Formats: sequence, C-alpha cells, structure tokens
Amino acid sequence: MNTLAIDQESAEWLRDLQGNGAAREHATARLHALLIRVARGEASRRRSTLPGRAIEDVDDLCVQAASDALMAVLAKLGTYRGAARFTTWACKFAIFETSTRLRRHAWRQRKVELDDTIWDRLPDAAPPVLQRLENDQLIVALHRAVRDHLTERQRFIFQSVTMDDVPIDVLAERLGTSRGAIYKTLHDARAKLRRVLIEAGHGEPVS
Amino acid sequence: MTESQLQKLLGSTAPDPGCEGSGEFMDEYCELVCSGEPLPDRFAAFLTHMANCVACREDTESLLALLLEQEKTNTG
Repeated sequence: MNTLAIDQESAEWLRDLQGNGAAREHATARLHALLIRVARGEASRRRSTLPGRAIEDVDDLCVQAASDALMAVLAKLGTYRGAARFTTWACKFAIFETSTRLRRHAWRQRKVELDDTIWDRLPDAAPPVLQRLENDQLIVALHRAVRDHLTERQRFIFQSVTMDDVPIDVLAERLGTSRGAIYKTLHDARAKLRRVLIEAGHGEPVS
Repeated sequence: MTESQLQKLLGSTAPDPGCEGSGEFMDEYCELVCSGEPLPDRFAAFLTHMANCVACREDTESLLALLLEQEKTNTG
C-alpha cells in the first residue's frame, strides 16, 4: 500500500476501525451515523429528481445505502492511502450508494427500451441553413453508424444513455451488471462511432 | 446539432480511466477544489471522465457540495 502522510484525525479513525473491542465498535457506530447523515443529505439534494410517489421510501433507502457504504468502507480500509481525509474518502462510498439507489428508485416505474424516433428529435430547432445542412448530414451518418456498426447491446446502451437520458445506474440494474461495465460498453461504442464518422469524411466530430 | 449535443453523444477522445479508475481520485479532487489549490496534471484523465460520465460527475458534485457545506459550518 502506497500510504501518504495521513492527518491525525484520519489516523485515529484507521487505528480505531482496525483495532478490536469497544474502540472499534464505537468508531463503527460513529462512522455509520456519519454515513447516514451523508445519505440523507444526498437524498435531500436530489429530492427534486424523484417522482412524488417515490419520496416516502427515501429514508429507508438512505439507511440501506449507509449500511452498504459502511460495509464497503470496512472492506476497503486497507486500500485507504490518505490522499484525502478519511471522512472524505468514506463519504464517497455513501454518496455512490445513495445516488445509485435514488436514480434507480426514480426510474422504478419507467420502461427502458430502444426508441428510434429519438433520431427525429435531434436536430436544432433553427440553426443557420449551412449549419443545418451539415447537421442533417452528420445526424444521418451517425444514425447509420449506430445502426450498422454497433452491436445490439452497444446500440441499446448508447441510445439509452446519450439520447434518452437513462441513468447509467438504471441500465446497470436492468442489465444485471455494474456502472463501470455499462460505461465501458458506452466508451467502446463512442470510439467506434467516432472512427466510422471520420472514415465517412466527417472529420474529428469531438476533440 | 450543437457542439454540446455532439459531446454528449460521442464523448471526448482523451484518455478516460472509466468509473472505477476515476472513483479513486474523487475524494482527493474534491478536497483540492475546496482548498483552492491548483489541480496537478495527473487529474486530466479524471476530468475527461467527468465530462463523459453523468453519474460520476453528479457524484463528484455531491461530494464537493458536502465538503463545502462542512467547511461553511466549521467556519460559520
């Protein structure tokens, strides 16, 4: 482990959580309480993204998220390098667990399916004529590249995330995988599309 | 299609460490931003991922908001 100079408070957290007996129990309880506060704060920040019917379950969800974050922190204690304060490092887990649950919760009643009509909604409302022409050509080329060069899974993930604004965590849940794995598929799909567009004479679409 | 729409569709070509790789840097990044210190070059790939991944960007913004709130409480 490549450990940096750890501040005193973080060192105390580590010592207590890696120890035994009452000190460990007390530190674990303090950490759990902190993670619950962070989870509730995150839920409060995201309240506007939740449909009304979903709000009543939010506190249970925060407690579950904090418990899972605590487990993750304890399991990964050995990987803490001290690059940030221990509490900042630990709060990261609570935010990840809470935000993932909230995104999924918000989409619980919604279907995720491939919708090709979305391509018709892509062009700008009123760009200048020349730009509109270039846009139309680019959109046609992109649509063709998506249709002809992506696998079915890549197409589904690409369109859902980038065009339908389906959260990546929702897709991960529906497809039984992780955020990282969905992102990797999206990343590969984007790279493939960029290559195809360049080959089709559309230059470097995005730097 | 605007530049930002194209960016949203195709992302950036710069090196991107993915969600797990970026997660390693999130806490350090937020503390550096809070302290106002300049970001070292090694955060370039992390920032690319933030531009490419909405979920990781939102999580980072949440951690940053939490730290800023704590700082405000501590100094207020």
